[in-house]
Amino acid sequence: MTRSGPLILFVLATVGLLISPGGSAEEGPLIAAAASTRSALEDVAGRYLEVTGESVRLVFASSGTLVQQIENGAPFELFLSANEDYVLRLANAGWTRGVPVNYAHGVLALFSRPGLFELSDDPLAELNHALNAGKVKRFVIANPEHAPYGSAARAALRHAGLWVKIKPLLLVGANAGQAVQYSIQAGVDAALVPLSLAQAAALNRIGDLQLLPAATYPDVLLRQQMVMLQNSDRATLRFFEYLQSADAQAAFRDHGLKSPSLSPK
Amino acid sequence: MDWSALRLSLELAGWTLVLLLPVGILIGRWLARTEFRGRPLLQAICALPLVLPPTVVGYYLLTFMGARSPVGGLIDAWFGLSLVFSFPGLVLASLLVNLPFAILPVQRAFEAVSQELHDAAACCGMSPWRVFARVELPLAWPGVLSAAVLTFGHTLGEFGVVLMVGGNIPGETRTLSIAIFDRVQAFDPAAAGRMAALLLLISLVTVALGYGALDRRARRGAGQS
Amino acid sequence: MLSVSLQHDRPGLALDFDLPPGQLSAIVGPSGSGKTSVLRALAGLLRTRSARISLEGDIWADTNTGIFQPAHLRPVGFVGQKYALFPHMSAIENVSAALLHLPGVERKRQAQACLDAVGIAGLAARSPSALSGGQCQRVAMARALVRKPRLLLLDEPFSALDRSTRKRLHVELKRLQANLGMTVVLVTHDLDEAAQLSQTLCLLRRGRVLQHGLTSEVLRRPASVEAARLMDFSNLVQAQWIGADHKGVSLRWGEVVLRAAVGPLSKPGVPVSWTIRSSDVFLVKDGHPDESSLGVLVHARVTEVISMGDSVLATVLVQGSGGEPLRMRLRPGAVRRHGVHVGRRLRIAIHPKAVIVLA
Repeated sequence: MTRSGPLILFVLATVGLLISPGGSAEEGPLIAAAASTRSALEDVAGRYLEVTGESVRLVFASSGTLVQQIENGAPFELFLSANEDYVLRLANAGWTRGVPVNYAHGVLALFSRPGLFELSDDPLAELNHALNAGKVKRFVIANPEHAPYGSAARAALRHAGLWVKIKPLLLVGANAGQAVQYSIQAGVDAALVPLSLAQAAALNRIGDLQLLPAATYPDVLLRQQMVMLQNSDRATLRFFEYLQSADAQAAFRDHGLKSPSLSPK
Repeated sequence: MDWSALRLSLELAGWTLVLLLPVGILIGRWLARTEFRGRPLLQAICALPLVLPPTVVGYYLLTFMGARSPVGGLIDAWFGLSLVFSFPGLVLASLLVNLPFAILPVQRAFEAVSQELHDAAACCGMSPWRVFARVELPLAWPGVLSAAVLTFGHTLGEFGVVLMVGGNIPGETRTLSIAIFDRVQAFDPAAAGRMAALLLLISLVTVALGYGALDRRARRGAGQS
Repeated sequence: MLSVSLQHDRPGLALDFDLPPGQLSAIVGPSGSGKTSVLRALAGLLRTRSARISLEGDIWADTNTGIFQPAHLRPVGFVGQKYALFPHMSAIENVSAALLHLPGVERKRQAQACLDAVGIAGLAARSPSALSGGQCQRVAMARALVRKPRLLLLDEPFSALDRSTRKRLHVELKRLQANLGMTVVLVTHDLDEAAQLSQTLCLLRRGRVLQHGLTSEVLRRPASVEAARLMDFSNLVQAQWIGADHKGVSLRWGEVVLRAAVGPLSKPGVPVSWTIRSSDVFLVKDGHPDESSLGVLVHARVTEVISMGDSVLATVLVQGSGGEPLRMRLRPGAVRRHGVHVGRRLRIAIHPKAVIVLA
């Protein structure tokens, strides 16, 4: 009837061959984790595989997105958020199982293009000088409404009295990852971004990266909590516990996160 | 190179094609041959996914099929099947999003089969089924082929709906386009670039084969047989 | 007997007539008269609001009893104006398509035989795009005939062809019809074609039958003003009925008294229309030997002369008629002999047998 044989064969071949078994490879627990923990968690998962021979499946997205997916029935078994509020929200709606645990503490870093500031103990004061001198045209943070690192950034700026001045210059990334993307690509003068992502993106090769002193923003905003979800099984529990081990903690520290603060909730 | 993501993309495109093409042929032919008052509205609905952002489609699918929805809950209870964040859910979403690609070219092709041809076929003693199989379908075949190529190619590149309805679950819903996005998020542009090039190559081959088949057919029709 | 009774709204149809079996009948009418719809209803392609169609006792459609045989179940063949050959099949495949109830080998054999019968045996493998109009029409004809239908329906099949091809196909058609003895209904807007090919003629206008009967009869004697107009009688004149006797009917046309050999009965003074063929109005030379046998003689003045190839159309005003002109079709020889030019006074003869009184 037609000479489109080759095309049909092509489609059938690809569909046929690839539907055949050998399909679902990885079967380990499905872990939803904040994007800012990617490099740390990939490291931890690697170590876990070496130690136990078990693998896990990692899915990274912004904490807010993951919460929505879980509330819509996504089959995750463990959730690592970049804050505590999202975990509380899930717990209140009955999606969680067991007690949440703080696994790490986020760190905010100030990124600036080369030569914008002097390095100092008070980076926000340097930022202030640069602002007053009109040297800052564009400043990036993650969205303060949804992203934990964004709301921490806003708190830090408010605390330093810079929020009103800097507001008209803000370029807001939809999530922390996008904030870092902007910092790389969008001709940005300075940004407040997660240290973990900044390291992963090697921002220090593009400009200057400085840590903010602890007191610049409320601790609680970046207390990162994890919790098991309704689907979880024994394998998930094992990984959950491994994440609290010294091994895992060391990995977190290597990748721009701090140990969870020991202050009681 | 995420081979499981490539396999998922091809599976998704393949299933969408296999399931949607018959639907496209049936509905396309029906729309081409049947006059009824609600026809413009129905055609608009079929064409809707063309103009709606995929995220809107994804949103409605999540709302109506997600765990919180009555439909989703029922299907989960009866079949143990989730229509969101799962491969079947992706297939469902893909079927909806590709409706216009599967229907419109086919509809146009069937419309081009004139009433005179239908009349002549009937007067040759051909029953309506025979007319469809021996006259309409062969003549509409280029349209069907176009629909197939468009559906397959479009599904390969689908992103917005897949992300919303499927999430990014490796081995289940992380198609190649999602995997590329994931690599970008991970600040790994090299891997993203490799996978993007592969996706581009596959899409190009698909479309080229399709148009090649159409071309050959056109040349055969124009000359003497 | 092909018995047809149709009622429909869009297009409007209200007709009821019979056609003799085994003959070629023509349905003639202007575009929009519904003739194609009638044909499609006969074929089973159109379902009318009310219908009764039967061929020699076999009822194909009857809305009273709910019978409707769709086209593919009726023993009809159909050839349309645009041939409607299946473009993706060769000529022989097109013809074979009507024989799907037969096994492949037999199909091919009969199809080839049919192509031979219509005179294009060697073109079996050609695709329609490689055939001329006339050849396509023959393939369409073969396809319609190969099933040996009891009724052959032709919808202006020759109108898209050039004159010589058309003439050749006319002859073929007559030959086929004579050989196969089937009932043929030909729809055309061309009266000449109908005149040449058909034995029965049916005039259609706005979905209604104006006149119907033997072709020669209908052409000679239109039954109404509308029929006369349709058949292009260029003279349509008003007069008054005066009286009737054994020799015919008398009419008063202005001051002129005309006689018609055949005419209806009426009351004196009632207005009637009459017509005469433009070729039936004759010039009379002075001193004609047998003037009384020519009919009513009147004086006329020429107002217009148009030369149309091998005939000349002259318009004349008859003295005393009250102003309505008559059109005459003359041969160039006559024009020369009588010196017909604008302004010339002539005598013309109107023979009672040529006068047709219309209802």
